[in-house]
Amino acid sequence: MSASVDVLPVQSARLTAGSWAALITLVVGAVCLALEPIAPWLVTWPAAWVLPATDWVGTGLAWFLNGIKPVARLFSDIMAYPMNWANFVLGKTPWPIVIGVVTALGWYLGGLAMASLGFFGLSFVLASGYWAESMNTLALVAVSVPVALIVGGAIGILANEIPRLKSIVQAVLDVMQTVPTFAYLTPLLLLFGFGPVVGLIASAIYAAPPMARNVMLGLERVEHEVKEAAIMSGGNRFQQLFQVEIPSAATQIMVGVNQCLMAALSMVIIAAVIGGFNDIGWEVLLTMRKAQFGESLLAGLVIVVFAVVIDRMSGVLATERQRHDTRVVWAILAFAAVFTVAFWARLPNPSELTLLDPVAQAVDQGLTDFTLTNGAWLDALKNNSMFYVLLPLRIGLDQAVLPFTWGFLWTPAMSYGLFAAGALMALLMAWRGHVTGGLTVLIAVGMLETGIANLPWPFVLTGAAALGWVAGGRRLAVLSVVLLSTILVSGLWERALLSLYLSGAAVFSCAVVGGMIGLASAVWEPVWKVVRPICDMLQTIPLFVFLIPVLMVFQIGEFSAFLAICAYAIVPMIRYTRHGLVNTPDEMMEAAISSGATEWQIMRDVRAPYAAPTILLGLNQTILYAFAMLVIAALIGTTGLGQSIYLALGQADVGLGISAGAAMAILALIADRMVQGFAEEKRKALGL
Amino acid sequence: MTDANTPAIACRNLWQVFGPGAEKALTDALARSGGDADKAAADLRERGYIPAVQDANFDVRDGELFVIMGLSGSGKSTLIRCISQLLPGTGGEIRIEGENVIGASKKQLTELRRKKLGMVFQHFGLFPHMTVAENVAYPLKVQGVGRKERRARAQEVISLVGLEGREDSFPRQLSGGQRQRVGIARSLAVNPDIWFLDEPFSALDPLIRRQLQDEFLRIQATLKKSIVFITHDIAEALKLADRIAIMRDGKIVQIGTPADIVLRPVDDYVREFSKDVAKGRHARVASVMHEGEGERGPDDPGLTTTMTLDEALAHCMELYEPVPVRDKSGAIVGTVHPSDLAAALQVDET
Repeated sequence: MSASVDVLPVQSARLTAGSWAALITLVVGAVCLALEPIAPWLVTWPAAWVLPATDWVGTGLAWFLNGIKPVARLFSDIMAYPMNWANFVLGKTPWPIVIGVVTALGWYLGGLAMASLGFFGLSFVLASGYWAESMNTLALVAVSVPVALIVGGAIGILANEIPRLKSIVQAVLDVMQTVPTFAYLTPLLLLFGFGPVVGLIASAIYAAPPMARNVMLGLERVEHEVKEAAIMSGGNRFQQLFQVEIPSAATQIMVGVNQCLMAALSMVIIAAVIGGFNDIGWEVLLTMRKAQFGESLLAGLVIVVFAVVIDRMSGVLATERQRHDTRVVWAILAFAAVFTVAFWARLPNPSELTLLDPVAQAVDQGLTDFTLTNGAWLDALKNNSMFYVLLPLRIGLDQAVLPFTWGFLWTPAMSYGLFAAGALMALLMAWRGHVTGGLTVLIAVGMLETGIANLPWPFVLTGAAALGWVAGGRRLAVLSVVLLSTILVSGLWERALLSLYLSGAAVFSCAVVGGMIGLASAVWEPVWKVVRPICDMLQTIPLFVFLIPVLMVFQIGEFSAFLAICAYAIVPMIRYTRHGLVNTPDEMMEAAISSGATEWQIMRDVRAPYAAPTILLGLNQTILYAFAMLVIAALIGTTGLGQSIYLALGQADVGLGISAGAAMAILALIADRMVQGFAEEKRKALGL
Repeated sequence: MTDANTPAIACRNLWQVFGPGAEKALTDALARSGGDADKAAADLRERGYIPAVQDANFDVRDGELFVIMGLSGSGKSTLIRCISQLLPGTGGEIRIEGENVIGASKKQLTELRRKKLGMVFQHFGLFPHMTVAENVAYPLKVQGVGRKERRARAQEVISLVGLEGREDSFPRQLSGGQRQRVGIARSLAVNPDIWFLDEPFSALDPLIRRQLQDEFLRIQATLKKSIVFITHDIAEALKLADRIAIMRDGKIVQIGTPADIVLRPVDDYVREFSKDVAKGRHARVASVMHEGEGERGPDDPGLTTTMTLDEALAHCMELYEPVPVRDKSGAIVGTVHPSDLAAALQVDET
């Protein structure tokens, strides 16, 4: 202890980059708060200064879209053929044949396990009575996936062949990953009109990037010597690529196929929002709106079944697989055919099957009973979280603390008291040598008092610049400020802050809870045995389905949205935390053990620091997941950019849709770069 | 065929520089230094370029086994990639059987590789999705050789490397030594004149390595290819080479026969390499012999110029009588013949 006191003067004399950044941010924030009464424009960007950027974007895009409309319509006419065809085939094929084919495919890919997964999965779909709707969805996926595979594959190969193209493609793919799904839909709606083609195109666009990414990655990772061996064998470029490099990269490319399928399914279901097509996503939405949660859950489960079947079956492609007897395949198919013919007259119409309706009704009833009996504490949970956590975060203690909720009114004196307490703590921390930490505490106190939605814009810009500077140097700082400024002047600022608040709250909760679950999974294997399948499940479920259970219990509102975001975004945090902690090199562990460190000391001094970069990457994924879900959660009541995008879709307002989508992408991009920057720094510090 | 005087490979002032606009940087640096390679290299380094190969000059004669030896980072792998044109080469000349390959068109290079070149890689570079036979036959497949014919030829080289019976295995089912046999078979499939081997045995266990070295020598004895062989192992270099080039920091510091390298190292760096080497095994009598009739004693143990020093020593020792051996107290307990001492010091030839 005395040592740290001795070196204190030196430390305070030479502030680190981090402390400087925090200090500047703090000063700007304090000045803004102090000047608020005389210069209100420092806090809220005046409406008069807002550029009508949204309208410009709208006009420009509408002009452009109208220009390419004929091409688009032609394309949509062409796509209508395979779609109708797929629809016809899947819709008219007797269901025993479809089930037989899927079961046989399952056997071929993965033996008994996959065959039974296929069989029971589709049997469940049949029993649910959503057969026709499911086949419609499947038809969309069946057409959009080949398009996405070809387009994505071609982009990946081109990027690999033309090095100059590579960085551009990478950048575009990065941006596409951050642009929210709904934002694609509005311009597509304008181009293609209402109808299933929009869903088709949207899902093809959404599903192509993962394919492109994996093709690029796979080709890049082909062993250098294998490529050289192909050259030295005298192959021309075409032979090298198609006979050696692509087959060598097959495993990674199959991962791409798997991700492509899942993305397509997810997007097809999201695209149901625009309606006009009798698919399973639409069924969920419809029942949700009618508050028939039992049916909604049932339809949701059908989606989950599809997701699981498609994911697991295509996942087998990416692993080394053993050959399964093809005679079984023929046997299954023959049995399906015989069954169909034998019972032709007596095959029930799958749409009239209501085997599971009683279940749905029972769930509905049970749920009503549950909410009735437990309503008190559910409401309490919801209200307490809202009043004591979310609301203060959003509008600040000074406005959230009301007699109605907290039992007393917030007074300026309390603000000063809070600031004083914060300052005291900051000083204490600075005294102990944690200057940056102390300053950060003070900033956090200030933010809590003001509320994220009411933060002065100069403070946000300075803070972003400071963080960017620490994480990635001057370039990132400038990039952050420039990009955020475009949001500021385009009049989307308040909505952006609202989005930031909700996703921030969700990310924070995910980081804390997910980090702890990850830690528990790392130190105690049984926990992981339970957590792992849950994580697998959560990652397979299409975004949309997350809304159903939270809606059932907590109704429409911000809290439900918050929960849905958390449920989706927590997975990467858990996975990466565990992965980072578990993968400490054996030699390091052995060195620590032989030094006589206890379990806890090893965790704190060896495993945690070593895992830090990985955990930061997990946090990065969590942030991106949260942003993705934020927009979907707009369906059940959030404010901010997500809501704007959703509204724009309803009104076919391209300007608003694209601008708000771009704003979301900007937020996600900046967060992504900053966390990556920190992770990179940690990795470098560890010499990795 | 080339006439006897044309070397299989000739490198003249060969440079490989990494960095943006390397070609111009090299020309400028050479102009500034007035053609002095060392100065030019230092100049390039100062400007942030990496001169991985500096001003390499050597010939590989027809049927010669030319070994390039150096530590990791010395530029030996870069050099072999220059010669095989996997890297373009920044400056200078590479003549393969008299034909300059720097600046040759893609088509010419492909043609050259299909007919004249074969290469073996350190980590084998096998195609993971092809069987052994398909791997070996691939260089024939790209030229459009028919299925039957290429299977037959593949079978030939597979037998040559002793892999009969594994034709339909996949590389992942083979051991390291077997994989490299596949690599060797593949590089020989088109019966190339020039054979590049890039540290072919470095990734293998010592025992397997020796086996493959011996087998490699056996194959070479029948095929008589012109070979460029890369290694970081001085013992391997001395065992295999007709001539050795030693590289350091991108520069060839000495070229010579194994005996030259061991007995007449040009500098401390080369001396350091040969320090741990049993010189008696690699140097031959010719290298220490004074020419001419000269002054000599009455004995003639029957030395010839091609004997190793170890062998020569053993022969000389045979002239002596057995000598006594005593225990600690000084009593005679036995006898030993000096030639037995010399023989015991020799490493068994395999």
